[in-house]
Amino acid sequence: MRTMPPRLFLLLPLLASLPGTAAAEALRTVPQDVSYCRELAARLAPLPGAEKEPARSLAEEGVRLCDDGYVRTGVAKLRRALKAAQGR
Amino acid sequence: MRILLVEDDAEVGRFVKKGLQEAGHTVEHVPNGREGLFMAAGENFDLLVLDRMLPGGIDGVRLVETLRGQGNHTPVLFLSALAGVDERVKGLKAGGDDYLVKPFAFAELLARVEALGRRPAVDAPATRLKIADLELDLLSRTVTRGGKRIDVQPREFRLLEHLMRHAGQVVTRTMLLEKVWDYHFDPQTNVIDVHVSRLRQKLDKGFEKPLIHTVRNAGYMIRAEP
Amino acid sequence: MAPPPHPRPGHAAGRPPPHPVRRRVQQHPGPLWRLLSSTSFRIALLFATLFLLAGLAFTGVLWWGTAGTLERQIDAAIRADALALAERWREAGDDAVAEAISERLALDAEDQTAYLLTAPDGRRLAGNLEQLPEDYRTDIQWYAMTLLRDGIPGEARLYVVQLPDGSHLAVGRDVGEKLRLRALLTEGLAWSAGVAILFAFAGAWLLRRWLEERLIPATATAALIAGGDLSPRVPLAGRDDEFEALGRSMNTMLDRIAHLMEGVRGVSDAIAHDLRTPIARARSRLEEALETSDDPAALKGALERGIADLDNVTRVFQAVLRIAEVEAGARRAAFAPLDLVPLLADAAELYGATAEENGQTLRTEWPKSLPLTGDRDLLLQAIANLLDNAVKFTVPGGTITLSAEMQEDAVLIRVADEGPGLSAEDRQRVGERFFRADSARATPGSGLGISLVRAVVQLHGGMLWFEDGQGTQPDYPGLTVCLGLPVA
Repeated sequence: MRTMPPRLFLLLPLLASLPGTAAAEALRTVPQDVSYCRELAARLAPLPGAEKEPARSLAEEGVRLCDDGYVRTGVAKLRRALKAAQGR
Repeated sequence: MRILLVEDDAEVGRFVKKGLQEAGHTVEHVPNGREGLFMAAGENFDLLVLDRMLPGGIDGVRLVETLRGQGNHTPVLFLSALAGVDERVKGLKAGGDDYLVKPFAFAELLARVEALGRRPAVDAPATRLKIADLELDLLSRTVTRGGKRIDVQPREFRLLEHLMRHAGQVVTRTMLLEKVWDYHFDPQTNVIDVHVSRLRQKLDKGFEKPLIHTVRNAGYMIRAEP
Repeated sequence: MAPPPHPRPGHAAGRPPPHPVRRRVQQHPGPLWRLLSSTSFRIALLFATLFLLAGLAFTGVLWWGTAGTLERQIDAAIRADALALAERWREAGDDAVAEAISERLALDAEDQTAYLLTAPDGRRLAGNLEQLPEDYRTDIQWYAMTLLRDGIPGEARLYVVQLPDGSHLAVGRDVGEKLRLRALLTEGLAWSAGVAILFAFAGAWLLRRWLEERLIPATATAALIAGGDLSPRVPLAGRDDEFEALGRSMNTMLDRIAHLMEGVRGVSDAIAHDLRTPIARARSRLEEALETSDDPAALKGALERGIADLDNVTRVFQAVLRIAEVEAGARRAAFAPLDLVPLLADAAELYGATAEENGQTLRTEWPKSLPLTGDRDLLLQAIANLLDNAVKFTVPGGTITLSAEMQEDAVLIRVADEGPGLSAEDRQRVGERFFRADSARATPGSGLGISLVRAVVQLHGGMLWFEDGQGTQPDYPGLTVCLGLPVA
């Protein structure tokens, strides 16, 4: 009786795992670098909505962040700019 | 009779042994259950007189149960300070034939000893009992004396039958109460005496020789000789 | 008791000080320990555990409904995405899929997706994943794993499709939402568990106090009785609950014990009262005979009277013990269904002769059969005692009536005599041991007869009472003793 509650807590994660799923070792993503920022900026440029707000300022900010070395944040801004430019 | 007495109290043992010897019996006295069982199983006795509470790990009840288990059917009389009705039943169930509570009058003990010891081994299917000129027909349940029919009540018939089956032996008042009335307690007054004297009047009326005799301090006896 | 040894001065020096008297410290358990070991705490703990289990079950359902749904939705999205990409691959080949993957990644502002397209030789063609899971097996499509995004770990699910030419397509999504939800629920559960345990303690404490309060009457009474006073009883508040039932059964038990104690006291009273007299009488007779009588016949007579006195002592003793035995209720085991009629007939037959001898008439009157459950020997003895008294007290020429009748649920037995009767006060006192009415002083008897009758009647759950007798002479109004014995 006394040992029951902790054991029940251990049961919780078990609820999460579904059948047919394998637990894999940790995977890595390809590091995002300044060239990816350029690629995203290039992908934005021909879009018709690229010059509209807020896409334009987001892209500008993203490129600046990338150049300042904050690649991850910059990529996120550029992706949001792309989304905005596509009207999504 | 050869009697084995198993009694741990030396004084009571001595008293009983002496009394029984004076009455013409041979008595072996042992003070504990172990020796008692040893003697009872090894030698032939006509009667065992056992105290119920005995030292030595084997009490009276155990002793009797063991003997009966061995197929030994020597009559057993329990002497006991345990007076409760249940105790008596326990003793008789274990295989005892009679049960006498301490303290007792020696006459009572002697009467019971003789009644047990002279009991016919097999109840012969007698149909008539006869003492002198008194006859008891057990089938027609009639009593005649000198050929003359005597009217008795059913209970009086049983009383007379009991006395005649133990003719020549003393039968005490408590024995009559137990055997004829199936009473197992002291009725305090002399009810038995009244019944016996009524029976006696019926039997002896018009005859010279009395048959039922009073034995002082003991009880009654039926016999031909005065 | 030897005095404690004193260390002698000469020996005390240079030795360790004498062993200190080992004081046995009575271990008083702390209040917490008392609470923990109490029944009420166990009850409260049981409820807390039940509460916790209910909480767990509730959380489980909640988990299934929220996190499970989330996961299933994510899985569905991943599968749809992967299938769309695989379709695209079949239509347009590697480059189109690579472009589609780049497009999707470009729009993933929250950085929650993961893609990988590999060539048949394992080379990465597109996507943001470095490689397939190391333990990738072609027969397993779903993988749950830790995904390091720029070194920051997160949980993700991955779906891997092998394309017909041996290249692989992997599509994944972060499941951080699910993890946050799980953390939230776990935290909630932990809190409620804590609260439940707190409630358990508080509840235990309250329950304990309440129980103690309700048990105080019983424990206080028990303490008083343990202290030697048998008279207190558990006060009853008139509520109809378990504690009242406990109090009531305690009181019944105490009444019974008190009654038995009275019985024991009665036995010692009896020994003091009624045994001393005959013993003293026997003793003085024997002593007198020893000192004065040289005549063998007189000596013999004295001895015989002495023995008779001793027999009387035995008789009283037997009666006292019998009453004690009956009152203790030890003989209920011998109860059996029986017919009272042959029993009454036996008793009437036994005493009828004596009555006749005294010039009395014994009249009897009962139906054909009187079924009853009881102890044959004791009932017979009770009736015999009543008849014995009636025969003793009825005037010569008088009538004694023994009658019995069946009432609704009881058998009523009456023994009516034509004796001196009993005054109202005496009727109250009859049945007290050794009580003998003044009018009976001259008659032999121990005064225990009615006591035994009363005990037997009580053992059978019946009643004993007295009514006026059937006497016709002024000084002999008579007495009727009535016994009501329940049939069942």
